[in-house]
Amino acid sequence: MITQAADVIFRVWDDHRQRPFWRMVQLFVARIFRGGGDSDADGLDLGIGLVLTLLALPGAFVSLFLMDKYGSLLQWLRGITHVDTLAIVLPDEYFFIVLSMTVTGAVAVWRWDAIFPDRRDYMNLVPLPISTRSIFFANLVAVFFLVGLIACDVNAASCILFPTVVTASQSEFIFFVKFAVIHAVGVLLASVFAFFAVFLALGVLMAVLPPRALQRASAYVRGLVVVYLVGLLCTTFAVPDLLRQAGGHVPSWTALMPSTWFLGLCQSLRARADPVLTALSARVFPGVAAVVWLALCAYAVGYRRHFVRIAEIADTTVIARTPALSNRRWRMGILLDRVALRTPFQQGGFRFICKTMVRSEAHRLVLTGVGGLALVLASQAMLDAFEGARSWRAAALSPDALSIPFILSFLIIVGLRLVFEVPVELRSNWIFQLMLDSNGQECERLAQRVILILVLPGLAAITLPVYAYLENWRVACLHTLLVVTWSVLLTNIVLTRFRKLPFTCTLPLFKQHSFVIMLAFCFGFLIYAVSTPEFESLALLEPVRMLSFVPVAAVAWSIPHFLAKSAIDLDKKLIFEESPTQTIEALRLSD
Amino acid sequence: MLEAVHLTKRYASLPAVQDLSFSLRPGQVLGCLGPNGSGKSTTVKMLTGLLQPTRGVVQFDGHNIQDDLMAYRKRLGYVPEEPHLYPYLTGWEYLELIGTLRGMPRPDLEKKIDSLLELFSLHPNRHASIGSYSKGMRQRILLIAAIMDDPEIFIFDEPLSGLDVTSALIFKNLVQALGRQGKLVFYCSHVLEVVEKVCSDVLILRKGVVIAQDSVTNIGQILGQSLENTFLHLVDDVDTMTVARDIVSVMQMKAA
Repeated sequence: MITQAADVIFRVWDDHRQRPFWRMVQLFVARIFRGGGDSDADGLDLGIGLVLTLLALPGAFVSLFLMDKYGSLLQWLRGITHVDTLAIVLPDEYFFIVLSMTVTGAVAVWRWDAIFPDRRDYMNLVPLPISTRSIFFANLVAVFFLVGLIACDVNAASCILFPTVVTASQSEFIFFVKFAVIHAVGVLLASVFAFFAVFLALGVLMAVLPPRALQRASAYVRGLVVVYLVGLLCTTFAVPDLLRQAGGHVPSWTALMPSTWFLGLCQSLRARADPVLTALSARVFPGVAAVVWLALCAYAVGYRRHFVRIAEIADTTVIARTPALSNRRWRMGILLDRVALRTPFQQGGFRFICKTMVRSEAHRLVLTGVGGLALVLASQAMLDAFEGARSWRAAALSPDALSIPFILSFLIIVGLRLVFEVPVELRSNWIFQLMLDSNGQECERLAQRVILILVLPGLAAITLPVYAYLENWRVACLHTLLVVTWSVLLTNIVLTRFRKLPFTCTLPLFKQHSFVIMLAFCFGFLIYAVSTPEFESLALLEPVRMLSFVPVAAVAWSIPHFLAKSAIDLDKKLIFEESPTQTIEALRLSD
Repeated sequence: MLEAVHLTKRYASLPAVQDLSFSLRPGQVLGCLGPNGSGKSTTVKMLTGLLQPTRGVVQFDGHNIQDDLMAYRKRLGYVPEEPHLYPYLTGWEYLELIGTLRGMPRPDLEKKIDSLLELFSLHPNRHASIGSYSKGMRQRILLIAAIMDDPEIFIFDEPLSGLDVTSALIFKNLVQALGRQGKLVFYCSHVLEVVEKVCSDVLILRKGVVIAQDSVTNIGQILGQSLENTFLHLVDDVDTMTVARDIVSVMQMKAA
């Protein structure tokens, strides 16, 4: 009986699945995951399973880290015998809401080009006997399906693990159920809101702008969204305290931080909300409904304006650059060639790298994310420096203020190094394979020059005049010299054994030593951007102390050089393909 | 019969095609020739219903195709100029998707896909993703997708691009066979020899305007020359030998 019923259900589902509309839905779901755009670009092609696993990981890890806070045994060992779980959970609940919004929003930004049907869909589907209305609705169903899938996936681990961790010390099962359901409602709604907010931004751009302007504006808007999400994540630890200190009035900034609304909802459902959180919770349902409704309207208008007219757009869009701008860039290029880029390879390579970073959306997004993080951390440092400082002068010599250029340079250098690994249009790298001498070893020097040209003038332009104005020329020169030296050393370290032309080499999804590298960067950040400014702050009071940086710099200089010298010839060759390291490798002695 | 009646298409104020009229009868293979920017692609897009003409109509059997576009497209097989395919689908999956979207009956569809893949020498690669296909293989997939539902009208836009010699020969014979079957074939190409060989009639466009339209034999007889020379004479007022010589001299130019 059960088998028969299962057979019938399976048959009905199979019939349904084969209908044109549902085939299109499947196609759009696959397209949104596997990439849109007009080209068959070789980017990072992650499988659907892997993407979903990666999205679920942050929630799982954070929940597990919280065991330390909520574990009853650990609390007892610390001498804490009575804990009001629902009171101490507020900052963590807020963190999960923000995490859910950030990850979902980031997915929407990442798949920005694939959410709407594109020219490939147009060329494949429109000549078939299918109405454009069917295509519209099929894509809409695919979008809804994906929002549901991503919201569930991103929050799945936190919806189970976080309530388990928090309520582990509670004896009643119903407490766990209530807590889990309320948490799930909060984070799922936050995810849906974040996705549709990004969708709305894209839809509005499509509805309002002509195709050429859309292409340019969408890059900036995506960058802004990334910066906003990074900002949201970085302010997670401050917001719950600010809400507690609000004194009964809803702060105006909460209008720009919808994450606080969902926190209000969770606390209201648990009957633990103060008047501020209660007022914030009232914004949730109108807010979500408005965003979803507006996103759908914008999608409909954008679809009509862009998709239905793709054939006309394709025939008329020719992007021309203004000659004045090209002339200025040309003159700047000649100056750089004379000063810093000596060989034809460096001159050509520099232009290729800069143009790729400026024009490739994936690279721009990574750089915007890193830049956003750098700005948020730098502004935090600036706030800390000026908080309670007696004067501007005193603040300028504090470790927090001195750390600003170090934070910026560290994140930009590491960000650039990271971006160099991301491949672009691998099928086009044949020209480099054909023309470059694989034993030439010029790529490391080229990458080094690109980073230094992009980083050093900007840093010097900030530190030198600011410190000359606030302090004096001596302090300004010493500080700038230290920042520049540290930047050069860091660049050398991150480019150790770099033997690729940026963007032209395949990138394996996982390297065995990825985790070690990540830890090394975190540790490096602490030394570079926290310890160095602290020591510098003391050294600037007595400049002779600055000499103590010399041996550190000498060691940091010699390590990459030693590693480069000790490398065998095979490890110095230019590569265009990097395969993941095998756990077990055959010796192939018979080959 | 497929008719283009006074077709005009303007982008903003720029005319891409002006007052274009022709008819395509069953069994006729009409070649469309013209240099870059002559309006060939715009004409093809209007014939497929992808673009709405600014003025004029495309009629099939006396009816404006825009009145029932779905029914018209069911009878249309189209090979676009650029092979925009989904690189993550396999060749077989792509064809199965197109067949399903065209509403082809399932058992018939699978049998047809397998047979056509076999005939186009793609069967061994049917389960490889399209992303790994060469340009010629992609083009063959597009050709199969266009013909597998046995449509009445065929519109081919540069269909030989990337095809190897054997596949190109098969395709040329196929076009002629389709003509003999009474199908309507509109064939856009830059390759004059192919148009001369497979088309019964030819339409020559220049700057969006028809400058010649007749049977292939008659067009050649007008000037007593081959189609290539006739085309050059009608379309491009350029001395190709001189241009080639100039290119070589620029190649050899050295900075002073």
